[in-house]
Amino acid sequence: MKTRRYMVLLLLVVALFQGCAFSRGTLGDDIKAEAVSLIQKGVTTKAEILNLLGAPDRLLQLNGRDVFQYYRYDAKAGSLLLILLNFTRLSIKSDDLFVILNRDGLVEDIIASKRTDSLRFRFWPFGE
Amino acid sequence: MTNVWTKVASILIGAVVCLPFIGCNVVRVTLNTSLTPEDVAFIVPGQTTLADIVDKLGAPDTLTNSETGVVATYRFLDLKYSRVNFGWLAKPWTPIDPDLIFSRTGFGVDAFEVHCNQQWIVLHQGFQRHLVRPPFHPYPFQQSQRVGGRELPTSNGLAIMASHGFGHIRPSVSSAQ
Repeated sequence: MKTRRYMVLLLLVVALFQGCAFSRGTLGDDIKAEAVSLIQKGVTTKAEILNLLGAPDRLLQLNGRDVFQYYRYDAKAGSLLLILLNFTRLSIKSDDLFVILNRDGLVEDIIASKRTDSLRFRFWPFGE
Repeated sequence: MTNVWTKVASILIGAVVCLPFIGCNVVRVTLNTSLTPEDVAFIVPGQTTLADIVDKLGAPDTLTNSETGVVATYRFLDLKYSRVNFGWLAKPWTPIDPDLIFSRTGFGVDAFEVHCNQQWIVLHQGFQRHLVRPPFHPYPFQQSQRVGGRELPTSNGLAIMASHGFGHIRPSVSSAQ
């Protein structure tokens, strides 16, 4: 009796998820929050930043100051393939970190945001 | 007899309602969160700092140098694609695989740029384009209208608004002054 119930449940799950597709793509390494929290303004040096986070994805010059830019992109796609009617939604978000270094090679400022935490698989393309 | 006609009428109405969805694909691609003029209304040139903006909108996608300071750019995309293949209607009656496809893509690419001075105070800000509502209908022969600096589709049925609101932004930002 129990086996039959499990079989029905399994068939129901299979029937509900047939025609669904999940895809994911990432670009760049994860920017570790622990590493970012160790950075101290006016104290941490350029060499320590390189040790903590590795080489930057981009090296910029702003007002005579070096800026290290780190980024990571995360993409999640959900597709609902109903043969006659197909819905697909691809959402891409990025984590960005800018470390601004002064002329002495010390951290002057940090600009960071982590958006990929809120990224979800979505199927419905309408609305928000 | 009346019952039969009711059934036939129901089937016909059902077919007419389902017809526009036959062989239909709807795709949406979003990169970051679309910004609207309302989202950036808090910015006051000469007063707001880049740190204030980062607190509300998160880190920009790029920072570039300019002669008078720094330009922070927030890029976003809200691509909408829809496609209908009317060839599906003939499939049951033909030995070949006919296609009659209408499709349309609205790229919805935009960027919000903030120009700051060397003290990180905002001097100017503005959107690169004003495509807040790209079309979301498969009919490719219709022109879009530009109303009040915004791209609006002429049909009022199937267009939808670009998304609003922000994801979770960790405000690990300190004063940039």
